[in-house]
Amino acid sequence: MTQPVTPRRRLGLSGRRRLTGWAYATPTAAFVFVFFVLPLLLVTQMSVSDWGLFNGDQGINAPHNFSAAVGQRLFWPAVRFTVEYTVVTTVILIGCALGLALLVQESTRWTGFLRTAILVPSALGLASASLLFYALYSPDSGPLGRVMRDLGITSGPVSFLGTPGHALWSTVALIVWRYAGFYMLLLLVALQGISADVYEAAEIDGAGRWKRFGHITLPLIRPTLALCTILCVTGSLLAFDQFYILTKGGPDNSTLTIVQLIYNAAFQGRNDLGLAAALSIIVLVALLVLNIGQFRWLRGRED
Amino acid sequence: MITKRSRSQRRRHSLVALVAVAAVSLAACSSGSGGKGQTVAQGGINGTDDGASLTLWTRAPLELQANLLVKAYNAAHKNQVKLTIVPNDDYVSKVGAAAGSGGLPDLFASDIVYAPNWVRAGLWQDLTSQISKLPFAGQINKGHLDAGTYQGKQYVLPFVLDLSVMMWNKTLYKEAGLDPDKGPTTLADFVKQAKAIQAQHKPGVYGTYFGGNCGGCDVFTWFPMIWASGQEVLSSDGTRSLLDSAAAKQVYSAWKDLWSAGAVDPASKDETGATWVGPFQQGKIGVMPYPASLLPTVNKTVDAGVAAIPGVDGGASTFVGGDGIGVSKDSKHEAQAWNFLAWLMSADAQVNVLAANDSIVSRGDLANNQYAVKDPRVVAINKVAASPDSKTPIAVDFQQAFNAPGSPWVTLLRDQVFNGKDNLSQDNSAINSVLSQ
Amino acid sequence: MAATYSVRAARPRSNGLGALALRTPYYVLTGGLAIIFLFPLFWAGIRSVSPQAGTAQNHGWGMGNYDTLTHYQAGIWQYVLNSVIVSGLTVLFTLAISLLGGYAFARFTFPGKNVLFMLTLAILMVPYATLLIPLYVLLDRIGLQNSLVGLALVLTMFQLPFATFMMRISFESVPRELEEAALVDGCGTVKALLRVLVPSVRPGLVTVGLFAFLAAWNDFITPLVLISDSAKLPLPVAIANLRAQVMGVIDYGATEAGVVVLALPCIVLFILLQRQYVRGFMSGALKG
Repeated sequence: MTQPVTPRRRLGLSGRRRLTGWAYATPTAAFVFVFFVLPLLLVTQMSVSDWGLFNGDQGINAPHNFSAAVGQRLFWPAVRFTVEYTVVTTVILIGCALGLALLVQESTRWTGFLRTAILVPSALGLASASLLFYALYSPDSGPLGRVMRDLGITSGPVSFLGTPGHALWSTVALIVWRYAGFYMLLLLVALQGISADVYEAAEIDGAGRWKRFGHITLPLIRPTLALCTILCVTGSLLAFDQFYILTKGGPDNSTLTIVQLIYNAAFQGRNDLGLAAALSIIVLVALLVLNIGQFRWLRGRED
Repeated sequence: MITKRSRSQRRRHSLVALVAVAAVSLAACSSGSGGKGQTVAQGGINGTDDGASLTLWTRAPLELQANLLVKAYNAAHKNQVKLTIVPNDDYVSKVGAAAGSGGLPDLFASDIVYAPNWVRAGLWQDLTSQISKLPFAGQINKGHLDAGTYQGKQYVLPFVLDLSVMMWNKTLYKEAGLDPDKGPTTLADFVKQAKAIQAQHKPGVYGTYFGGNCGGCDVFTWFPMIWASGQEVLSSDGTRSLLDSAAAKQVYSAWKDLWSAGAVDPASKDETGATWVGPFQQGKIGVMPYPASLLPTVNKTVDAGVAAIPGVDGGASTFVGGDGIGVSKDSKHEAQAWNFLAWLMSADAQVNVLAANDSIVSRGDLANNQYAVKDPRVVAINKVAASPDSKTPIAVDFQQAFNAPGSPWVTLLRDQVFNGKDNLSQDNSAINSVLSQ
Repeated sequence: MAATYSVRAARPRSNGLGALALRTPYYVLTGGLAIIFLFPLFWAGIRSVSPQAGTAQNHGWGMGNYDTLTHYQAGIWQYVLNSVIVSGLTVLFTLAISLLGGYAFARFTFPGKNVLFMLTLAILMVPYATLLIPLYVLLDRIGLQNSLVGLALVLTMFQLPFATFMMRISFESVPRELEEAALVDGCGTVKALLRVLVPSVRPGLVTVGLFAFLAAWNDFITPLVLISDSAKLPLPVAIANLRAQVMGVIDYGATEAGVVVLALPCIVLFILLQRQYVRGFMSGALKG
């Protein structure tokens, strides 16, 4: 039962509600401040300081860290590989996910089982999946080499991680196995959002299967496709776990990603936190630009 | 109503306070920074043995000897050492991350080529006065001591010495018609003998093997070939690479020759070092430069011959590598840690643990101990260790230039052997730019 | 607003053997796909107990590889305990903070509300790696370096955007009348929250807790950077390290056993809580 409130009481009430609201939001605010805002400010400071791993803050040295970061022997190769890996992974992963989503659209027991089977790898962590594939790709005890030899695809020992090309495709296979289920799910929801009437209307108009797909399905799921692309691109640009476990950036530094560069700069002998911070800022800015650009494009398309 | 509300609020406040106290006390339990224990010298020349628990980190390549030493120490002392073996590739980053946050163990070993870098960074405590009190101080392996010396102070003692030697499979030699008791005495000899093994076309068997992606492995095995030819690999201050010398070029072309002739196990191309010692132990390799510290392990499966690594026209050299060990800056049990180190340098540890298990001793006065003379191969190893051409290269950025995954050294050797690219001067200057940082 | 995991029935198809013949390639193809997706996990499980050269289990079937795990460094149980502690703390912190925060954002208006919410979501825009380097230094300064609690706090922060968003929409979907009735009865907001709202948003809480647990259990790069004491490592880093213990030999059997230990809780949770799992993904989609 609501009681009539005088304006004076309402003001007091809303004021107290504001305070209560703040009280509930305080843990979040504290957390965000201490563990997010402070580190962001700190990394900005570190990126313009001479900050060693062992000797700490030695004072400002801008813009030395940034020029050293970009001038590293491996900077541009790492950028090139990261971009290449991102493009390859996004195209293949989203393509496979779309195909899988189309295959499991119906609601039968069989597709229910299929969906679960495809989704199970998503339960694993990326590090666990990488360790699993590390054993799977081993030249001694992995089954795939033997299978490929039996099928006649190759002769002689297969080196999944031994050449730059093989290492890239082997890693892409791992990522597709691990993430296809997740993206399939997102696309499935989008596909379900298309009402059957639209298809029937098109069928009546005489549109064939591929025409229906190209002119109805694709445009209608475009927002979700765009979202999937953003997620996949961001995740791939920041790849670390899988390469650290499978190849450590080899062979010949051919699978070195930007985040590995950051880790190596900080801890693998160079011991230069300032340099690592500068690299992190570069990655952050690049990602921000990319994400904002993608969001703008997405919003523009939706009109 | 009002009392109920404040009671629930009070309950909530006390719960929050409880969690906060728990969090703070848990945080306090985590390791702090700075060693505020006794100083190293407090226990006297032998340190303190009072039942302390010590932590020791070392790398995987020397786990055999490390385990033997730790076990022997723990059996005879009140102090107990807890050993952690770290994968070789992760060691530098693990030590770095720990050092940056004050979490180093009491004792930690390091590949002796990293020692200059870490000594400069102050990761170990000064042991000069303690070492000078040891009666046999002048007999301790000089290469290792020098690598751990900075501005006249000594920080590092030899932990486990590892030398590179030429090892060959006597059984395979007999089958190929080669003299099983004589290994290669020149570089050309090495190439010839490897090709002879390959010519047998025994399935799964290859002439030789090396770490095609492993900078550390090839530093260990190829540098002695250059030294035995009478040339240097680094300038004396460690800032310039001399790996484009005439002798070096001969070494590269020898390996390239072997690779193109198919006398090298194809798995060498991808070998990052994780498994580079495996194939020889499995009897699949004819002859290859190999770590002498693994002789006990090899003996279990292969009848191996051992000789010094030759140069272009003969000579003998070895890479005096292995690990050095010191007391970390974060240790709170310095005197107890010194107790372990003092025991490590004693004849008891060197002879009864290391030499008894076919390992090399770090003290020159113990080189002809009772175990060494039993096996002529060990005598040969000890002899070459004392040769003037046997060295430990010293450079502050050695790890970055040579051992790190994807280092410029790896690029150089891969270009020379696999990729057929003649970028020697370019690759060498890449090494120079890292060394001169 | 939370989508449900239901599927529309497809258009009716023709019946009969002809249809089955047409459908066989479909079954073959999808069956093959199911095999491809399930094979690696089954293979790891079987290999972890089957005989392999170069492992502790060279002859016959048995638990030799798991034995290797128990004797490795501090023992597998220590690492499981570490992971349990870290994941448990992360779930605790995440649930507590996102519950209160979600309630605040959903039901109250206060100055700075939108800024704070945007800031929380902004965590998603900043890469992990950019934050780990300063967090390494920051935790050292406040004395939480190399500690499981510090690790849990960092992992909680990474969970906050999803968790707060999830709880906010969960609260927003609860009718205001429910809460107002409780408030009118004289309960304070705390009691209203605890007694009335929490049960209503329980599905959201389960989803948030599930995702927080899985993220903390599986995280690799954060403990790699923040934990240096090998006895305090969580499972993923410990298993990654155990591969190269002896120079020259990689114990694949032990690695496979380690993967099984890592993956088992995740798969069990996934199968038990599939609905919440999927709901969590959906909310991610709708966020776009």
